[in-house]
Amino acid sequence: MGAYMSEKKYTKDHEWVSIENEIATIGISNHAQESLGDIVFIELPSVGNSVKAKDEICVVESVKAASDIYAPIDGEIIEVNNNLENDAAIINQDAENEGWIFKMKISDSNQYSELMSEDEYKQFLEQ
Amino acid sequence: MPFAGFNMPINYKTGIINEHKNVRNHSGIFDVSHMGQILIENNESYLHKLEKYIPLQLKKLIKNRSNYSFLLNKDGGVIDDLIISNIDIKDKSYLYIVYNASRKKEDEEIFISCAPNAEKIYEKNCLFAIQGPDSINVLKNIIDIPNNMNFFDILISKYDNNEIIVSRSGYTGEDGFELSIPNESAENLINLLLKNENTMLCGLGSRDSLRLEAGLSLYGHELNEKITPIEAGLSWALDKERLEDENLNGNKVLSDQLKNKLSNKKIGLISTSKSMLRDGMTLFDNNNNEIGKITSGCFSPNLNKSIAIGYIISEFNTDNPIFCEIRKKLELVKINNLPFVKKNYKKNGSIYE
Repeated sequence: MGAYMSEKKYTKDHEWVSIENEIATIGISNHAQESLGDIVFIELPSVGNSVKAKDEICVVESVKAASDIYAPIDGEIIEVNNNLENDAAIINQDAENEGWIFKMKISDSNQYSELMSEDEYKQFLEQ
Repeated sequence: MPFAGFNMPINYKTGIINEHKNVRNHSGIFDVSHMGQILIENNESYLHKLEKYIPLQLKKLIKNRSNYSFLLNKDGGVIDDLIISNIDIKDKSYLYIVYNASRKKEDEEIFISCAPNAEKIYEKNCLFAIQGPDSINVLKNIIDIPNNMNFFDILISKYDNNEIIVSRSGYTGEDGFELSIPNESAENLINLLLKNENTMLCGLGSRDSLRLEAGLSLYGHELNEKITPIEAGLSWALDKERLEDENLNGNKVLSDQLKNKLSNKKIGLISTSKSMLRDGMTLFDNNNNEIGKITSGCFSPNLNKSIAIGYIISEFNTDNPIFCEIRKKLELVKINNLPFVKKNYKKNGSIYE
């Protein structure tokens, strides 16, 4: 696979995933950030962990509730966004860019293709 | 979100933290029309019957004053906590009681059994709270507020040619007012208040974080039918003379509790990490023995940390460390005296004539 930035995809658990050079970047969707309200804390996943799709790997705490974040696909956690440790509200300000949460080396790119496109996610939200 | 049968906003567009800070620094408006409001004629036979449940000398309540009190069950447990005031409307004397939405059924059964013609005025009156240090300035342009009106004073005023009930009270730890106003005038009044650019509508989320910082109890959390006001650290709100009165539900239990050591005590806790303390979490000592539970927890915008109220066993020595189980891990928490944030009321008076 060559160096390219893939289209952004979404999960039913309101995470977004984008892929560059077999590295997936994951965060929560803008819709998720809006419904959680003010985010005050995030427990980041551990770098080096191998995870399976649907595994609970970290927790976002907002003033309203704690929400689990799931691995969208199988892979290994290779990097986390340490800026969020000091200022989790970055997710409220820019959930789908600066507010990324972790990066994974993915093992099965088919799992990625099965996720929802932006349009499909919008339709999913309207249901 | 659904709350006690009502559809209530957790927050409006700027979010819980912003609403919270606006109330502490300026003012904020809460629609609390879901709460119960009832008028009971000030008649000796009604008062006598109510005194079975309410631990105050109702005949002696000062005119135009409000009091924090309870409805008590036979064991001295709290059926509900409420605000009870003595006011005249159209030359007739009433007790005006404001009570929790979630307890309407239980409370009204008692009110109606004591006073069959009690009038549930929430069916025609909205209830709004304006809270925060600027409340007086926002309100006095629209409604006459006497200069000598103190916290827990209450009076009848006029708006839109209707009589409205104005009390200097609230549940945020700040100075503020509650307004009971006929439905047809309510929207108009709110829009007028909102013309002040430093005030804003606030939802249930900030109402909860404000009352928690102020160390105030919430029914269904710190209070329920199995907890007495004394166990909840609210013995100041009981009339001690009434505890000798056989007519008061649970009077023996309560007077014994006042004399003896309680099995549990209410405490304030503050997180030492960034994790959030939440209702239902379990507390442990450093030998992994369970010592209590959290009953309310939230993020405190003023302290920038999570805070909580809970109950622990009385014999626990609070000089020792306390741990809270958060997602299967034990995290150190610190005891903090209640309230977390100093109350900012316009001074209080006595409760009887």
